[in-house]
Amino acid sequence: MLSLTINGQSHQIDLPEDMPLLWVLRDHLNLVGTKYGCGIAQCGVCTVHVGGKPVRSCQLTIGGVGTRAVVTIEAIGQTPNGAKVQQAWMEAAVPQCGYCQAGQIMSATALLNFNPHPDDSDIDAAMAGNLCRCGTYIRIRQAIKNAAAKTA
Amino acid sequence: MKKRIGAVVAVIVVVGLGFAGWLVLGRDPMSFAGNATVALEDYRDATVTGAPAQLAGAELVKRGEYLTHAADCQACHTVPGGTPFAGGFAINMPFGTLYSTNITPDKETGIGTYTDAQFLAAVHQGIRADGDYLYPAMPYTSYTYMTDADALAIKAYLFTLAPVHAPAKPNQLSWPFSQRRLLAAWTAMFNPDERFRPNIGQSPQWNRGAYLAEAMGHCGECHTPRNLAYALDNRSKFAGALTAGWRAYNITGDKESGIGDWNDEDIYLYLSTGHASGHGGAAGPMGEATDDSLSYLVPDDVHALVSYLRSIPAHASDLPRTVTTPAPPSHKEGMPVADADARGEKIFAGACASCHDWTGVSPVTGFATLTGVRAVNDPSAANVAQTVVHGVNRTTAGGRIFMPAFGAGYSDDDIAAVANYVTARFGAKGAHLTAKDVADLRAQAAQPHKEAPDG
Repeated sequence: MLSLTINGQSHQIDLPEDMPLLWVLRDHLNLVGTKYGCGIAQCGVCTVHVGGKPVRSCQLTIGGVGTRAVVTIEAIGQTPNGAKVQQAWMEAAVPQCGYCQAGQIMSATALLNFNPHPDDSDIDAAMAGNLCRCGTYIRIRQAIKNAAAKTA
Repeated sequence: MKKRIGAVVAVIVVVGLGFAGWLVLGRDPMSFAGNATVALEDYRDATVTGAPAQLAGAELVKRGEYLTHAADCQACHTVPGGTPFAGGFAINMPFGTLYSTNITPDKETGIGTYTDAQFLAAVHQGIRADGDYLYPAMPYTSYTYMTDADALAIKAYLFTLAPVHAPAKPNQLSWPFSQRRLLAAWTAMFNPDERFRPNIGQSPQWNRGAYLAEAMGHCGECHTPRNLAYALDNRSKFAGALTAGWRAYNITGDKESGIGDWNDEDIYLYLSTGHASGHGGAAGPMGEATDDSLSYLVPDDVHALVSYLRSIPAHASDLPRTVTTPAPPSHKEGMPVADADARGEKIFAGACASCHDWTGVSPVTGFATLTGVRAVNDPSAANVAQTVVHGVNRTTAGGRIFMPAFGAGYSDDDIAAVANYVTARFGAKGAHLTAKDVADLRAQAAQPHKEAPDG
């Protein structure tokens, strides 16, 4: 039995330790905002926060989470930077098809948590692992800058 | 005139013999421990050969299975992803490619007709059933130290496998290396053709470790440099070598370039699981050695290997001490300007940073942490490039260890750039690989097999 803290709630989980966190979120806890994409940590769509870091939940096993707190797209709007990013996302109408956007928002929020005023180079370094096949990258970059400019 | 020719010939013969003698000097892998050795039957301190005590009462085939793992026959006698022991694995060398053979008990294409004597001749002397010599890619200069009983236990196990019809692939060797008969001279020089002799000046645990490392696991075949005749030069025992495009690192006690700074527990964990925290994980051939062989050994045997490794004389090689502090969390910091390869950084940001982090300390798994890893602290970047090309796809007792293979999706230029970037950012010294270097490394490791899914 594993104990995981997800979005502030403690969950007792009786599943194999080598199961990826993404499986547990989607199939066992019904937190389906986090999406499955490539399955090999190359697209970023499954990004969640673990211990404050953006992590690809398709590669992280639940046994590997340890005592670190997990935050998913469902709860990111309850954090100051998460709320700012979501607001900026709506104002700039960032998504097109939307499939990658939960991951984009999680990576963008982690970036602002680490670096409140990122420049283009910081944004590239933090966001390059999040693919968007609709090509919304220009709006993503603008929305991150807009979010950074918002006062809390 | 005749006298003068005679003198010239005499000089050539003397110089030749002297040179041959010099080459042969590095033949004995255990001479560093002194020559207080006795014949096995005269050694009464402990049982240091055979299967471990836990299997003492087990039947022959069960003991043979353990010893087959310990001798790691499978790694070379199997195409990755293919039927175990059916052969076909490519061994790429500067003078051509050899293919391992089928050692399932198929009577036509395997070893199904081998008698005990023929099997022992192959294992100890490198002579196959038809009397021809085997190329020393078959490590008979190591296996020669194996006892008859252990070799025959391995044979007994192999003969319980399902026979597979798999004809040998023809070797592709350039002349004169294609001439098997020349191996008679090579073997006479470099194969001692003698069984393991325990060293009474060392502990029983050391002797068990020596037997496992030399007669069974043949560590030196990758980790010991070779001389001009391509035989192991034990004067630089375990000091590291490039084998099949992967660097087998210095595992002597040297603190800078070897494993002198590792504690016993780290070495134990690395051998038994292919990973030690702060030192990274095994990939490539060492990953195979772990998963096919070392992970099957009982704890006492792994401890014996640790004891033996600890006794290897320190031998400094050209590797720097590993950097054990993580890189800064911002991509803008921590890189010498001269090493800041923009292309490498861009690839790292898109394909690598999500698991390896800009610090090198993975938030996903310790297996993906780059800080302190020898491969990352190797300015040749050979193993970094190979790992990027081939990925990692290991199945272990602790679960699957996976990194995508980027070899098909990224060009040699890209792989050189990212390997140079990774060694500069996380290691002691940045590499300067070119696309051609990466192409060469790919060719040396080329196998007819499926890789992990493309990245």
